[in-house]
Amino acid sequence: MNDVARTGIQIRGLTKRYGSTVALNNLDLDISPGEIFGVAGPNGAGKSTLVRMIGGEESPTSGNLMLDGQAWSPADKWDVVSIVHQEPQLFPNLTVAENMVAGREGAGTAWPKPGDDDLQIMDALGLHSVRDIPLGECSLAMQQRTEIARAVARAARVFLFDEPNSALTDAESDELFREMHKLAESGRIVLLITHRLGDLVRHCTRVAVVRDGRVRTVLSGETLTEEGLARQLVTEGTGGGSPALRNAAQTPEAAPMFSVRDWTSPNAFEDINFSARPGEIVALMGVEGSSARELLRSFAGLERTTGAISLAGASDIDLRQLRAYVPATRALSLYSNFSVGENLLARLGAPDIAGPFLGLKKSRMASLAEQSVRRFLIKTRTAAQPIRSLSGGNQQKVAIAQALNCAPKLLLLEEPTRGVDIHSKNEIYHLLRDYAASGKVVIVFCTEVLEIFEVADCAYVVAEGRLSSRLAIADYEQVEQLATDIARLEQSLSAKAAA
Amino acid sequence: MSSDVTQTPSQSPTFSKVGKATLNVAARIGGLFAAVVVVAIVFVVINPNFANLNLAVSVLRAMSSVAIMAIGLTLVIVVGEIDLSFGAMYGLAANTLAVMWVVHGVPVYFAIPLTLVIAALVGAFNGSLVTRWKIPSFIVTLGSYNLLYGLSLWVSNSGTFNPNYPPSGEDLPQGQLDFFIGLTQSFGKYQLSAEVFWMLGIAVVVGFLLHRSLFGFRLMAIGGNPEAARLARMPVRRYKITAFILCSILAAMAGILDFSFIQTSQPDIGLSQTFPVFAAVIIGGASLSGGKGTIIGTLGGALLLAELQIGLALLSPGPHVQQIFLGAVTIIAVGLDLFLTNLRKSRA
Repeated sequence: MNDVARTGIQIRGLTKRYGSTVALNNLDLDISPGEIFGVAGPNGAGKSTLVRMIGGEESPTSGNLMLDGQAWSPADKWDVVSIVHQEPQLFPNLTVAENMVAGREGAGTAWPKPGDDDLQIMDALGLHSVRDIPLGECSLAMQQRTEIARAVARAARVFLFDEPNSALTDAESDELFREMHKLAESGRIVLLITHRLGDLVRHCTRVAVVRDGRVRTVLSGETLTEEGLARQLVTEGTGGGSPALRNAAQTPEAAPMFSVRDWTSPNAFEDINFSARPGEIVALMGVEGSSARELLRSFAGLERTTGAISLAGASDIDLRQLRAYVPATRALSLYSNFSVGENLLARLGAPDIAGPFLGLKKSRMASLAEQSVRRFLIKTRTAAQPIRSLSGGNQQKVAIAQALNCAPKLLLLEEPTRGVDIHSKNEIYHLLRDYAASGKVVIVFCTEVLEIFEVADCAYVVAEGRLSSRLAIADYEQVEQLATDIARLEQSLSAKAAA
Repeated sequence: MSSDVTQTPSQSPTFSKVGKATLNVAARIGGLFAAVVVVAIVFVVINPNFANLNLAVSVLRAMSSVAIMAIGLTLVIVVGEIDLSFGAMYGLAANTLAVMWVVHGVPVYFAIPLTLVIAALVGAFNGSLVTRWKIPSFIVTLGSYNLLYGLSLWVSNSGTFNPNYPPSGEDLPQGQLDFFIGLTQSFGKYQLSAEVFWMLGIAVVVGFLLHRSLFGFRLMAIGGNPEAARLARMPVRRYKITAFILCSILAAMAGILDFSFIQTSQPDIGLSQTFPVFAAVIIGGASLSGGKGTIIGTLGGALLLAELQIGLALLSPGPHVQQIFLGAVTIIAVGLDLFLTNLRKSRA
């Protein structure tokens, strides 16, 4: 087999459709062995679909894959690929050594033991000391390394790292990258998919930017810079984003409607002071582990906190009815056993949809559902359609509409347009904009600078549990400037925390 | 992205009220009752003597207590939990009532409500352990199944009781006896038992609760996605506990009604009901993963099972045939349902 030309992976015309949604659209890509190849792209651009295709977890609708010059169907020849997940998908109840051999136990009937080769691989990856410890008790970094070791042991050719270091410490992620370089040097094919532009620039020889299911460009050498990547990720054809969308009637003098003081949550954030005025869309930006997400959830009353909170004059207990929270994934807000209409009304109660003795007002529900479908521009044939029959973007609109139907004074959203096509994205931005304009506060947790630029009035960066100063988005003409400032704020916050 | 998303609903000409989900449920229940009819026809073809109304009436009687329990279980299954203890609750209810009334002479008018209160406490116990202590409901109710059976043995002192022959030798007041036996009085030309009407009444009330009330709506939501329900601040705990309480109360009612009909209590009655009741709920289309289930479907499941049970009992050379058939029917019904669902999905 050594005679076979080790030419890497060639992908031609790869297309994947989910119902009416096109996740990958005629994608071409060449990846050579011996390099770390980066893939960047905004949420919903098709990155994760690409990973699933190469990993053989799903089959493409059309298109060809070649590995080392031969036609290759990852679904059948899955063992040449190893996906190193953000959350390792192994057996937490078995020891590291047992994890090494699970699935390759050989022909014996005894409780399997790792062979000499396995031991060598584990030693090379620094797993020697944890060999007999249950995997679930090891750190995330060790678990990832176990995943790598398993793949090395079965002579995998392709290593996919999907946001591998988002939950690792700096030292741990340095170690991980060292291992990735070693894998690449040994002639294996290494792919890195991440949001962290700095990592892509530092460690990859080439980076493909994926947008709308295609490879927009491949950056390498001189052109491969953080700025260059940021520009490729956000510019051109994104629609919306015009400052005209913003509320003209911003009155900076208006009194804050929502505020927290000395807002503290153990192990997350400390002494946060924050306020928002009616009509405002506020973005909280932060990478995973920055506590930005936790901060947003704490505003929804979902985290243990100390400090003072006030919303439209009410404090604490009365808040319940006044705020609504939309989780990051639709799986946490939609009910798959419900129709579109029932999903839209799921958060309502008496007297909106139920009368005395809690009897449901069926005809009122039908008309309310129909109204919501129109008001929130949900594309469905009827409101009685099962929720799963809708496209991702429309499901997301239902998830947001479900919260809006409670008419909360404070609307809290986590990554409201994750995995959503551009068309729906703009409609969601309009919905949020309109809702804020009716004198409510909207707070959004974002991971994409472009999203902040397009939807928010102001933004705060969160890093290491600290809140930055306020950035007024109207001050920025171009999203690149905003991206630079956010990166700068993030660094200075982290530096402060380290000091 | 694709062309078909550009059409907006406000322009679409038919904004019909009935969607695919509703039609699927309707098709499923239609299929279930079609199966009931087909099975009846097969039995009649095998033995033309089966075509008589007396037999139909006894099928209805036979399904009643199973259906009442299955209706309660449907609530628990819909909210995404499981209850294994209802069979033991059925037995405990009959035995508690027997001991209070037949042995100790507590008037039946007090003994019955008291029994139902005990059932409610048992349900609250199950529900609280599941929601507060986060013990899986399978374990909690497996435990309370044995606990309740133990209590039945204890209170009854492992004895059997008949209200017509109280152990004291002194007859119970005739009025109370008439009332109690009247609960399941048979009347009419075909000796239709009142237990059938209890079943229908309960089905209507619980059917309203599950399909037409806010309680049922939220029960479905919680069963469909408990995490979303929690994040949307629905009273998840309270609703789950209520489902367990209702399940226990309905099991106790079934126990009391069957006691009234059979007029004998035994410490181990009800235990063998666990399988047929579960089978009725599952054949009726409820999903063990929660969020799905209808009262009419559960009734259909109970009817199909009772029909098979009685038909096979009359035909078969021994009880093993019945048992084998019931097991097979449950698996086939669920398998067929999954197969047809996948077929529909692949066509859609």
